[in-house]
Amino acid sequence: MELNAGTGGNGSHKTASERDEVAALESLQFTDEIRRLMSAPGGDNASSFTALLELPAPQAVQLIQSPDSAKLIAAPAPAPAPAPAPNVDDFRGSFQFPFNCGLIDRAARFSVFAGDGNINGNNKSNSPEPTSYNSSASLQKPVKSEPAETESSQPLVSDPTVENRSVKRKDREKVKGSSKKSKTSAKESSDDAEKLPYVHVRARRGQATDSHSLAERARREKINARMKLLQDLVPGCSKISGTALVLDEIINHVQSLQRQVEFLSMRLAAVNPRIDFNLDSVFTAESGSLMDSNFSGMVIPMMWPEVQLNGNRQQYPQQLHLDAFQQPVSGREEVCNSYITPENSLLSYDSSGNSASLHSNQLKMEL
Amino acid sequence: MNKYNPPRMNPSSLRSRFATRFLRSLSEINAQKPTASSSSPTEIFRRYRRIKVAADKSMAYSVRSRRTWSRAMLWKLRTRPCGRRSVKTSTIVRKTRHEKQNKNTTTATTTGEDGVVSGVEADELRELVPGGEAMDLYNLLDETAHYIKCLTTQVQVMKKIADFYSP
Repeated sequence: MELNAGTGGNGSHKTASERDEVAALESLQFTDEIRRLMSAPGGDNASSFTALLELPAPQAVQLIQSPDSAKLIAAPAPAPAPAPAPNVDDFRGSFQFPFNCGLIDRAARFSVFAGDGNINGNNKSNSPEPTSYNSSASLQKPVKSEPAETESSQPLVSDPTVENRSVKRKDREKVKGSSKKSKTSAKESSDDAEKLPYVHVRARRGQATDSHSLAERARREKINARMKLLQDLVPGCSKISGTALVLDEIINHVQSLQRQVEFLSMRLAAVNPRIDFNLDSVFTAESGSLMDSNFSGMVIPMMWPEVQLNGNRQQYPQQLHLDAFQQPVSGREEVCNSYITPENSLLSYDSSGNSASLHSNQLKMEL
Repeated sequence: MNKYNPPRMNPSSLRSRFATRFLRSLSEINAQKPTASSSSPTEIFRRYRRIKVAADKSMAYSVRSRRTWSRAMLWKLRTRPCGRRSVKTSTIVRKTRHEKQNKNTTTATTTGEDGVVSGVEADELRELVPGGEAMDLYNLLDETAHYIKCLTTQVQVMKKIADFYSP
């Protein structure tokens, strides 16, 4: 009963323009579906169109070919007489305007669990609706309330309709004969080839059915999918077509990234002598107090350069001799030690410097 | 006093893992050279080398062994400095390295792969991505994607740090 309420409510919300749009699109889909169902052996599943109409095939075709959707929308197609009244009338009504509230109610009321079994009048008129609903759900975006309805009926729909829908999705534009089926199934299966460990690919029309070539083809498609991903990753690569050029772009990008890393490490090496890095506490710690400790990390390095510069001027002209190294080191060891120990005990050091803590917060945020 | 709660970053993201490790190694590098003469170009160059190795190492460690390129990079980093030390160890190292490469080559599919597609560029890519020599094209592309992602993270973090510390 909640189904009834839900669908009834949804149906009533449709506006006239929405309905027309829906009906137009619906009729287009119907023609496609009808054609495909024509080619399929009719009547094997209860949900096939001709069975629903209870019309012999040519008359159903006549229904289709009565020119266009506009006519179908505008006026009911010239349906031949012998059709049993309630079904066809309902259906004609639905054909003109498939999402009639009354039909929706009927759909809700009479369950679509029908499947292959009971074919009574009501069920038959209802079963085209799930197909239309399903197709619309898969194909339309503007009518959003559709999916809600279809979801209710979707699990109830028998497999053939689902299969039909998915196949139909592939060949909307191509209206061919029997080759259509093989093509779409190959396409579907090759799509699945990405996900399944075993590749079930049916040969496309006019292509070799060698096991080798099949495997190669599957592999090539996997590689193409990967290339597409890479194209998205690398900026400015989506416009380029052709694998060789895309690969060139990717190579350039990787090289530039590696060079950037080198430049940045050079920069950090140049920056380094003055400042010490004790901000790992910023990233590991989740508590605010630890961020305060960074203040000391900031303060101490500021004092370092003074001492170092003094030492430089006095004891180091420009050279890098090991002896010269030793002297100043020994000379300033005490000073260095006194600076090193507070650094090491940063975590325990507690001070509140607003600017410093904000600074470290900023860095943490940026990172 | 206003309470400022900074947004917590995900502690297990690649970025935070890399940042933590890299900062730690940076502080180690700085602690190593106690004094000045750090402004001389040689010293700077030496430090640059060390920092670069530290960056690569931290990135490879952040990725662990989940990826072929990180494994190859870690391997390279481990054997490179030891290569100078003694001949014995280097031969042992070389042997095990060959074993590892052989292992990698056996995993490469021998069924018909389309080496026809983009042969030259694939080789170039193989040179760029660590550990790429022994991979077929599909895995190579996979590794490249992950490698690019990690490199961009690395660049971003290092840039932020450098910006932060330059006046």
